[in-house]
Amino acid sequence: METAGSRYDLRALCRLADVTPRTVHFYIQQGLLRPAGTPGPGARYDEGHLARLRLIRRLQKEHLPLAEIRKRLDPIDDGEVDRLLKEAERPVPHPRRESALEYVREVLRGSASRPPAILSSAKPGSDSWAAAPRSAAPASPAAVAPVPDRSQWDRVVLCPDIELHIRRPLSREQNRQVERLIKAARAVLEEESR
Amino acid sequence: MKLQVRPDRKLIRAASRSTRYALLSFTAPVAPPRAGRRPANVALVLDRSGSMGGQKIRLAREAVQRALQMLHPEDRFTLVVYDHEVAVVTESTPASGEAKRAALARLAAIDARGSTDLAGGWLRGCEQVAEHLSAEAVSRCLLVTDGLANVGLTDHDEIARHARALRDRGVTTSTFGVGADFDDKLLQRMADEGGGHFYYIETAAQITDLLTSELGEALEVVARDAGIAVQAPGGVDVEPLTRLECCATDGGARVRLGDVVSGQEVEVVIALKFPTGREGEQVTVHFTVTDRDAVLAGAPADSVWTFAGDAENDAQSRDRVVDRAVALLHAARAREEAVDFNREGRFEEARRVLEAVQRRIREYAGNDPELRNLADGLRADFEVLSAPMTLAAQKSAHFAASTSARMRDLEGKAKRRPR
Repeated sequence: METAGSRYDLRALCRLADVTPRTVHFYIQQGLLRPAGTPGPGARYDEGHLARLRLIRRLQKEHLPLAEIRKRLDPIDDGEVDRLLKEAERPVPHPRRESALEYVREVLRGSASRPPAILSSAKPGSDSWAAAPRSAAPASPAAVAPVPDRSQWDRVVLCPDIELHIRRPLSREQNRQVERLIKAARAVLEEESR
Repeated sequence: MKLQVRPDRKLIRAASRSTRYALLSFTAPVAPPRAGRRPANVALVLDRSGSMGGQKIRLAREAVQRALQMLHPEDRFTLVVYDHEVAVVTESTPASGEAKRAALARLAAIDARGSTDLAGGWLRGCEQVAEHLSAEAVSRCLLVTDGLANVGLTDHDEIARHARALRDRGVTTSTFGVGADFDDKLLQRMADEGGGHFYYIETAAQITDLLTSELGEALEVVARDAGIAVQAPGGVDVEPLTRLECCATDGGARVRLGDVVSGQEVEVVIALKFPTGREGEQVTVHFTVTDRDAVLAGAPADSVWTFAGDAENDAQSRDRVVDRAVALLHAARAREEAVDFNREGRFEEARRVLEAVQRRIREYAGNDPELRNLADGLRADFEVLSAPMTLAAQKSAHFAASTSARMRDLEGKAKRRPR
């Protein structure tokens, strides 16, 4: 537990601030941090060091250059450092989460999918379903070769040094071919190794 | 409604971290028949790609007919069909007699033709449901397919992400895979992330039974988005062993159960990893059932564990009921992994994962006949799951393991008190 006047050795300081000793030394060198009272293994750091270290990390996460951080930290005292730290760590209010409808519409927009054919409106009996569907999209030919927009590769290990790579998705026919291929490959490899 | 908790063992190790299991169970209240059930807002999304031709689509139509018969005018339904194009057969409409008749008439003329824009069909179904989202309805999109997503959005991770996002915004997804060629990994993930259930339909004749069963469950939901809140002191890791989603919360974790149906017998095993401590010290963990509408609210159930030395820990008695539930889940998870390896041709790894879990179960099986049977059953699977399997066999094996790991029955239905 941190109590007023705590003193930390370098390891404890690094653990609490989630930095490496190298980083601490670098900051001291750059004038962002005061050096510890005594140099070497007996070096002890205090609350002020810890708070400043945390604030430096915070400001770095916000992409401030070191020179800018130094400028900000130089003139202020420990009390002010504490205040800035608290402010920086205040949780940001969450933006309102969109509804299911907003979400799915966004996805459909982004996927550039064609609007669906609507075979009926919500009023039953008002449209004859046999009439042309409402959608503006032109009908496309019935059979379309599979066209994956994104792909994922599967690795099938045939033996310790030989693999088969398959880009999914495959058509059903290709899946069947792959099954036969794997079986045949395994047979060949087992034969060779005997 | 009473939540019961049974720990497998009550002592934990003082000098090293121990993992213990808690079996939590409760039976959901039985809703009075008919009176005041929640309205349903459902989408039925059917694959009409070429491979669905013949018997499959005929049986799918029949299934839709039976499903619609279950709905009343206070419910809403929408019918979407897809191949490489998506068609909304009926936009979301109240389930009046006329609406149902018209929908079925249109569906009768839909024949099987092209390839499969699975995600497109599914998302349009979700859109229809989302357009009429209400605070009191049970909202679900039911997707039926016999094939792979091979047109449009096909990336599994992305589809799974959308399923989860829609679940979090009130639209649940359940999936039905027909035959031997569909992608069961994708459908399982969509159901898991989507807060619903996946069903393997081996033969088309089963479509009606399983579709109407799932819809029936949606119509008998007594508690929406239920969960078990676990409050444990810092240092205790909480992880469900049952395949359920879990999120960290302030002070512990919440295991998501999804919608719970009338009379459902819920059983969940939770793994707790304890830190070290002083002998004699105790750790109390609180378990509470929660749900969106506070229907299942009740007193929390507590369990207390005590730190003790290694010798005492080794000698302590075990609750065999919990051991069996734990072993069943470990076995199911191992089988799931083994089938995954098998799909990729990684037969040695499939065997190893089964061997490892079989060894572990034997370690605490002792003379218990059920545990020994379980271990023997695993041993029998070594050969089967570490050799090439047909697609159908892989699917059967995957489904059996997956329903077991999620504590559903063999067909994928909820476990309920016999009525």
